[in-house]
Amino acid sequence: MKRLVAVGAAALTLIAVGCGSSDEPTSAAGGNQEREITVFAASSLTAAFTQIGSDFEAANPRLTVTFNFGPSDGLAGQIESEGVADVFASASPTWMDDLASATGVTQRTDFARNKLVIITPPDDPAGIGSIDDLADPGLQLVLAAVGVPVGDYARQVLRNAGIAKAAAANVVSNERDDASVVAKIASGEADTGIVYASDVTESVAPTVHSIEIPGDVNVIATYPIAVVDGAKSSDLARAFVRYVSGPDGQATLRAFGFLPPT
Amino acid sequence: MSLHVDVEVEVDRFRLEAEFLAEPGETVGLLGPNGAGKSTLVSVLAGLTQPAEGRVELDGSVLDDRAAHVHMNPEERSVGIVFQDLLLFPHLTAQDNVAFPLRARGVPAHEATDRARVLLGRLGVGERAHARPAELSGGEAQRVALARALVAEPRLLLLDEPLSALDVRARGRIKSLVRDTLRTFPGVRLLVTHDPVEAAMLSDRLVLLEEGRVTQTGTPDEIRRAPRTSFAADLVGVNFFAGRLERADEGTARLVTSAGEIVVAWPSDLPERSEDAIGVLRPIDISLHLQPPEGSARNVFRGRVVGIEIAGDRARVQVDSSPLLVAEITLGSISRLGLVEGTDVWASFKAVEVDLLPP
Amino acid sequence: MPAVLALIAGFGVALVALPLIGLIIRTPWSRAGDILGSASARTALRLSLIVATASALVGLLVAFPLAWALARSQFRGKALVRALVVLPLVMPPVVGGVALLSAFGRRGLVGGPLYDVFGLQITFTVWAAVLASTFVSFPLLVLALEVGLRSLDVRLEDAASTMGAARWYVLRRVTLPLLAPQIAAGLVLAWARALGEFGATITFAGNLPGRTQTLPLAVFEQLQTDPGGAIALSLLLVTVSLVVIVTLRGRFLQTR
Repeated sequence: MKRLVAVGAAALTLIAVGCGSSDEPTSAAGGNQEREITVFAASSLTAAFTQIGSDFEAANPRLTVTFNFGPSDGLAGQIESEGVADVFASASPTWMDDLASATGVTQRTDFARNKLVIITPPDDPAGIGSIDDLADPGLQLVLAAVGVPVGDYARQVLRNAGIAKAAAANVVSNERDDASVVAKIASGEADTGIVYASDVTESVAPTVHSIEIPGDVNVIATYPIAVVDGAKSSDLARAFVRYVSGPDGQATLRAFGFLPPT
Repeated sequence: MSLHVDVEVEVDRFRLEAEFLAEPGETVGLLGPNGAGKSTLVSVLAGLTQPAEGRVELDGSVLDDRAAHVHMNPEERSVGIVFQDLLLFPHLTAQDNVAFPLRARGVPAHEATDRARVLLGRLGVGERAHARPAELSGGEAQRVALARALVAEPRLLLLDEPLSALDVRARGRIKSLVRDTLRTFPGVRLLVTHDPVEAAMLSDRLVLLEEGRVTQTGTPDEIRRAPRTSFAADLVGVNFFAGRLERADEGTARLVTSAGEIVVAWPSDLPERSEDAIGVLRPIDISLHLQPPEGSARNVFRGRVVGIEIAGDRARVQVDSSPLLVAEITLGSISRLGLVEGTDVWASFKAVEVDLLPP
Repeated sequence: MPAVLALIAGFGVALVALPLIGLIIRTPWSRAGDILGSASARTALRLSLIVATASALVGLLVAFPLAWALARSQFRGKALVRALVVLPLVMPPVVGGVALLSAFGRRGLVGGPLYDVFGLQITFTVWAAVLASTFVSFPLLVLALEVGLRSLDVRLEDAASTMGAARWYVLRRVTLPLLAPQIAAGLVLAWARALGEFGATITFAGNLPGRTQTLPLAVFEQLQTDPGGAIALSLLLVTVSLVVIVTLRGRFLQTR
């Protein structure tokens, strides 16, 4: 009996190893037109790209756009190991460079920029007036984790303002993306956080109080987008990237708080 | 120093009414069939069940007095119990089991352990002191349970079916141990059992409990001479008839039972009619025949042999006549008549041989 | 055992073993030493062990009276209480974290007054990590203890009281020792669950090395930047859990 159990386990192992090591098949050379594209995009693009996605679908009937939103560093890693994305839109050039050297990308374009902003709960319990207040001892500051673009940018901003060390002592949590930072502040759980200006959407605005960061200290994030090499539906992917850079896509991005790419 | 019980207890829909007295120096055997209320009574004496009515008093202390709203909790009572399933603590050694009643009452560990070890030795299981209950034989476990009941020197010792769990061999050995222990125990001793032989062997006085009521008390001899219920009669192995007594002809009377009529000698000191008459007939006074007998016996009943019990050179033969009869004849007679189960027989006995008991 | 069942059982073993084998194969063994020896890994591991142990013990304290009530008492709403107790097990942990925030966060039902009046804040502290882990793991303890209490022969406790033992003595010397196997089993399960807790912790306690970044959170963070490192840390987590479970199973979970 023990032998049969072992046989079963071994059989399953062999099957699994055999399947797992094969490469992902690309689309058939004969070109069956795939009517679906998968877009991996930074979580700060969630609202904007969801809108762009439905607009793109409306303009191209029988086409489906599937999104996977998340921190750019995590998404890049996922594409590199699993390789199921057609398009990658990153919140920082770093992770696009990473993907370019690992898997390879084409038609890379910078399509938007984003600046950072300080947010606090609506009643601003800690009385934040400016960036320098983030150095006040005992403050509860929430940032995205190191490696997440907005987390790196925020720390850059704090360095620019000369309060990196003091502010670091105030960090109480490293969140996995900007949405989580917004959640912590909007619920009043922490005193303040730094996120993208685009994160303060129409629905978020009433739940937080925003404070501008001076231009000489602020970081402007550049967002690149590209078609991933080996994408199943490269024609459609290219069309999507063109749409995002085109007037309709840009208008939508503007409406959601993003700055133009240049 | 005595135990006085006078209670009414209701458990689920079972109702028990019991009153009896137990003096120190005598072992009282509470005897009854299963379902009679024995476990309920044990539970009341232990303090685990409260009586609906009545009073329990031990050695001057009131354990229960419903009218006065007194109920002494089990842990405050001075009762040593050997439980039907022994209930030894499986996670403790024999020694720690015996020491438990002392430790629970605050006796220091080493003193408790010493006393436990001594007692285990006296009961013949000293060398098993460090064994767990699972490792003990039936007889050994019984001794440990007995030691545990005795160690705290209780004023009431209560043995609940002490021999029921043992096999025949162990039973013999334990019986003598239990009898000796009971004899030397200074307080009140109560034995609860359904086994009449056990009760007769170990008790000085019996209290018969049937269907929640005490039906008879007395020494085994007293009960043997005058059993008041069929259970009591079964106990002492006599034929038992209960019914309406009606005067018949020529100095005889009819005892009309639900199973049939028997003819008895008319008792001069009884009224003309009696509703609750009891007649007792010893098995040895019944004769068995293969043909309808002729003779002076007024009671002749026909039936089939439904059971034969050999005891030494005698045999007890059960006949399914109406009423049921148990006859005692010699083994020789069994073979002479060729009696086996199913044999058709006639049983006969004289009217004068039936003992009518005074009400 | 019939052949078919044995085969299926084999698949069952594979189901659990394959991910572990995958981890071992994918671990960057050359770098593993550096990753596991790093300060953040050691801090995260130490924090995880402390939080898991504290959760298991706190859980036991909370679970025992609950299990007793469920096993021994009759009261109205018993079915509701039982359902509530099981809820953290079936709730997605992140949802659990959100629920904890609404109750114990700075603006929460209970946390709000605590903060406003006493200045006490539980979130972003190690206590929040303990609370989150306890929340998701104590149902396992309640279930294990309830089963144990039900299977206990109550007559033994009655017998003990006739031997002069007051209720606390009975609890201490009879009930608890007899429950020891179930307590141990429950503790091991709860501890293992607490060790692996992620969703509720990150939502309620936040993520800060040294204070709330337990090993699962560290793995998640590593996954973003250094997948190989994340795998090494994952293997560490699994190994620690296995070692503890196997050791304790041997010593405390043997039935008598």
